[in-house]
Amino acid sequence: MARDPKYDILFEPIQLGPKTLKNRFYQVPHCIGAGSEKPGFQAYHRGMKAEGGWGAVCTEYCSIHPESDDTHRVSARIWDDDDVRNLAVMCDRLHTFDALAGIELWYGGPHAPCMESRHNPRGPSQIPSDFEVNTHPRYMDKDDIALVQQMYVDASVRAREAGFDIVYVYGAHSYLPLQFLSPFYNKRTDEYGGSFENRARFWKECLEQVREAVGDDCAIASRFAVDTLYGPSSIEIGEDGVRFVEHVDDLVDLWDLTVGDIAEWGQNAGPSRFFEGNHEKPYTGQVKAGDHTNKPVVGVGRITNPDTMVAIIGSGQFDIIGAARPSISDPFLPKKIEEGRPDDIRECIGCNQCISRWEIGGPPMICTQNATAGEEYRRGWHPEKFHPAANRDKGVLVVGAGPAGMECAMVLGKRDMSAVHLVEAGEEIGGCVNWISQLGHSDGGENLARGTARGLGEWKRIVNYRQIQLDKLRNVEVHLRSRLSTQDVLEYGAEIVVVATGCHFATDGLNPATHAAIDGADASLDWQLTPDEVVKGSKQIGNRVLVLENEGYYMGVSIAQKLAGEGHDVTLVTQMGDVANYMEFTLEAPMLHRDLHRLGVKIHPYTMLERIEPGACHAYNVWNPAHKEQFEVETVVLCTQRMSDDELYHELRSDQDALEREGIEAVYMIGDAAAPRMIPDCIFDGHRLAREIDSSNPAMPLPFIRERRLWGEVTNEDYDAALLNTPDVVPMMAK
Amino acid sequence: MKIVVPVKQVAVLDEEFELLEDRPGVDPDAIDWELNEWDDFSLEVALRLREAEGQGEVVVISVGGEESEEGLRACLAKGADRALRVWEDSLEGADPLAVARVLAAAVGRESPDLVLCGVQSSDAVNSATGVALAAHLDLPRVAVVTALDYDAGAGAATVERELEGGLIELLRVRLPALLTIQTGINEPRYANLRAIKQAKEKPLEAMAPSDLGVDEDALAAAAGSRVRSMVPPDPGGGAEMLNGSASAVAERIAEIVKERMSG
Repeated sequence: MARDPKYDILFEPIQLGPKTLKNRFYQVPHCIGAGSEKPGFQAYHRGMKAEGGWGAVCTEYCSIHPESDDTHRVSARIWDDDDVRNLAVMCDRLHTFDALAGIELWYGGPHAPCMESRHNPRGPSQIPSDFEVNTHPRYMDKDDIALVQQMYVDASVRAREAGFDIVYVYGAHSYLPLQFLSPFYNKRTDEYGGSFENRARFWKECLEQVREAVGDDCAIASRFAVDTLYGPSSIEIGEDGVRFVEHVDDLVDLWDLTVGDIAEWGQNAGPSRFFEGNHEKPYTGQVKAGDHTNKPVVGVGRITNPDTMVAIIGSGQFDIIGAARPSISDPFLPKKIEEGRPDDIRECIGCNQCISRWEIGGPPMICTQNATAGEEYRRGWHPEKFHPAANRDKGVLVVGAGPAGMECAMVLGKRDMSAVHLVEAGEEIGGCVNWISQLGHSDGGENLARGTARGLGEWKRIVNYRQIQLDKLRNVEVHLRSRLSTQDVLEYGAEIVVVATGCHFATDGLNPATHAAIDGADASLDWQLTPDEVVKGSKQIGNRVLVLENEGYYMGVSIAQKLAGEGHDVTLVTQMGDVANYMEFTLEAPMLHRDLHRLGVKIHPYTMLERIEPGACHAYNVWNPAHKEQFEVETVVLCTQRMSDDELYHELRSDQDALEREGIEAVYMIGDAAAPRMIPDCIFDGHRLAREIDSSNPAMPLPFIRERRLWGEVTNEDYDAALLNTPDVVPMMAK
Repeated sequence: MKIVVPVKQVAVLDEEFELLEDRPGVDPDAIDWELNEWDDFSLEVALRLREAEGQGEVVVISVGGEESEEGLRACLAKGADRALRVWEDSLEGADPLAVARVLAAAVGRESPDLVLCGVQSSDAVNSATGVALAAHLDLPRVAVVTALDYDAGAGAATVERELEGGLIELLRVRLPALLTIQTGINEPRYANLRAIKQAKEKPLEAMAPSDLGVDEDALAAAAGSRVRSMVPPDPGGGAEMLNGSASAVAERIAEIVKERMSG
């Protein structure tokens, strides 16, 4: 089908200096964990977006010199000609699909701890990083300024050599050029500090020099936080924000606008539980609206809906739709609009699991919605192309339609299995997502700096996308309200059975801190609840509630937020140093803590319960168990750990004769049923099994390509050999 | 107890379709097919009656082309005992009265105790075939049945029908009879993979109307109407596109509703 003419504007070319962007879809720089040292990952992840129709695709931040080294986090690097060689693979891949390649030249100043290079970063003033631990920069004298500016120039020349079309001088997120511009970092009294012109000088000179070096061949872009959200102590949109755009407008071919800084960059990469789509508009939207630039503007804000995109361009907010997360969730978003099938778009849910892996430092990026993200090269997975399975004549029964079961059945359907039955005990597909998506909002009246506690409603997109796809697959039947016994499964007539029956919360307080149940914990009592019972409203909840949070992610705090928002007096107890540690990685923590503080939730870290009795919880300090504490509460919520619902799997497997008699050739278990885990890992597990359902042993994941150095003389084939026995590898990977 | 369930393979309505250029009708190549939703419920009533009796036979019959066999096989997989498909190309575009005439010949041959039709088909929505079939067979009929209690001893059934305004009409009907069954009367079962495989071995007979003694003249005499043309409606006017944030759009919708309600 052809695209709807109302979307035509999204496909109009636009000029970026010497380069033409073929449409208005632009993958802004974002991290993936590839850098320059995993060139296959880099080239094929970015290349997938080019294939999917994005007009321009950029690297992550790319260090220009060893003294801007972000280890333990993974950046790209363009330090020498060998980096050029590896990054050129990405450029070539993008050019195959007529996309422009962008590179974000980065010097971090104090935000570069140099843990690998052991250099020392330079900065405008000697103030340690507010993002890293105890990292002091070396004060830059004028020789240092010239030295670092030459690093930008040298890097830009290497970038052109690698084949990049767009070269950034990156300042946003408070890196070196913005550190000079912001009085929060810049305390200088020479001609690089003080007045606006002086503070802007370093960045302006960098732009002039890079432009002089490569501006005839490459578009010059700058990424700029028009408001760092620190008030008058830093950049504000109405002050230096628009002033700087006007000041250097002649030196750029493209503005890439953001808000916030690196220390709380969740204000930029806003998680859905606190920010709605296009949330940066009040800031970044002012630049074009106020006529402060004559250059094209790209901006972001988890924009996944083509109608919103048209409205953004039509209203003059931006010229180009920027995306990081939506392009990870659906690399084929532009193509799906172009082909008139926007209902196939796999919309980003704003969970920020992708970001969490960069924040952790090291692991490759993942995506909840798109299990193939990061697997394009190393596993050879394509998000939209599937090979018919070699054993497609087999009938498959998938028991349980939670995240793992839905994904597995969908991918088996797309792999053209002759008959897939997805059978669910509940009223609808989605499993735990159906109640988890009701979590996380408090009372709705708050204003937490910029966002609000919107809750996890957008997570329901996990179900919506799969529901739409399953409806279209004629070889997949979905049956609801049908709880299958072991006997039912045996007699079902499937040759392959996939058990995806999920998990439940421990009811006796079994937990990761003590590896034991808690004396008196019993969620069968009417005053003790598991988290799902809180959402389902099956029990009365007293005024004073204690939530025991042993998991370290969103569950315990979301329950606390909900109950405090409903007016309960909530005490939150955790054995860890802080609640919800993982939400630091997803950038949700700062806003979460604002909300918990506003709601008066009392947080007790390093505290564990030893006994629960009616009316009281007896606790102790984990570093000094002799230090006791007592909490008088009416209700206790046990968010301690989860337990797999794996009885069906074990019962089936225990009777091999029955399996053989009934013609069942294989029984697999996926998702929480095998081991409770995060939703993206459940979806990955279901996807992985379906991708490899025709391998020699589908129960065991196949090897993937590891881009580590091989000693001695090697060829690319030595790396890629790992994929030789993988059934569903897309031809572009095949040799 | 023998129960006949006439079923229909219908077009999937949420798919795009195209009209034929040379004659009135929908291009069959552009259609995905599925069993009429109402027929899932009437078949389920039949299967449960047979199961409650512990004996009997459920026969599904469809007037339709080869695409109907998929639907008939699905009925066999769920538990129908055998299936019959009646077709010849001249039936393409036949109206409900003509279809009922063909069905009458096929159903009459079975001498059933009960005939269970769906209230309507989701694609044509005439609600006529079942009623016309009852007339041809000279059977008592009850339309839009929402509950059924079969009294084997008396050879009769107590049934409820849906009326406007939430009223329920309670009727007692002597068998043989024809009922048209409303959705929601039960929760239809689904067939597992084994039953689907086994259904391939169950009897599915195909025959032409002439095999049942219905010739072209009889069909022509039975028909009540014919389709002269099919054209897409002219695009309507007066639509107002609402732009803006979700809350702004919601606010505008609320305004419009209030305006219209007060007007």
